[in-house]
Amino acid sequence: MIQIDRIVEGNVVVTAVRGRLDSSSSPKLDEFLAAAPDDGSVILLDFADLTYISSAGLRVVLKATKLARSSGATLAVCGLIPQVHEVFDVSGFSTLIPIHQSREAALATFT
Amino acid sequence: MGDGPLTDLELDIRLTNDLSQLEPLIGRLESFIEQADIPPTPAYRLELAVDEFFNNAVDHGYPDGRTGDIGVHIRRTGDRLELTFSDDGDAFDPFAAPAPNLTGTVEERPIGGLGVHLVRTLCDSFAYRREGGRNVLTLGFKLTA
Repeated sequence: MIQIDRIVEGNVVVTAVRGRLDSSSSPKLDEFLAAAPDDGSVILLDFADLTYISSAGLRVVLKATKLARSSGATLAVCGLIPQVHEVFDVSGFSTLIPIHQSREAALATFT
Repeated sequence: MGDGPLTDLELDIRLTNDLSQLEPLIGRLESFIEQADIPPTPAYRLELAVDEFFNNAVDHGYPDGRTGDIGVHIRRTGDRLELTFSDDGDAFDPFAAPAPNLTGTVEERPIGGLGVHLVRTLCDSFAYRREGGRNVLTLGFKLTA
């Protein structure tokens, strides 16, 4: 249901998620993001190929955001399709987590 | 999962309260969305509602572990979608719950409680009733969104 890839670009760790983040697939991303990031690093969740996220997926994103903050790291997301962006807006996540148009745009601000 | 009548404009599914039913349920829903030619935004909102309510019913509706019966009925009428979600779990009105804190700092945000808020905000009408031992949720979505 989902495919998760990790790509390191300097101090930015890109986690690219392809597919759906619902109650059955979200634990996989949760596991993937469980390790505390390095102080000063950036976790970029590339959701360009994410077609669906439910509250179960949002929970994982919020948990990772909390972990990043407490570790001195930054978490950002990029590439949201309009429907996923709407869910981020309605849940209030847009004011909490930086959202970039694309991976390229995000990397340009972090490197 | 029971096979209800499937036409271009209507979908009727009965299933048990088991999370293994979610994947086939979403599969049936996506076929309906394609056949009924539902645009991406209302399609997403509909799928989110079915997904969140199904998970809530399975997780909280049957604390004694009994087997439950869940019904999903969707109808496209003109420029509207109507979803009726019903379950024979314990009586619970999801729309009576207070909205979660959506403005606090990251440390203040609760992990959870977002599902019903999302659905309630993204649909155009919602109602709850308890009828014949079942929770019955009816939601309306505009197709022009």
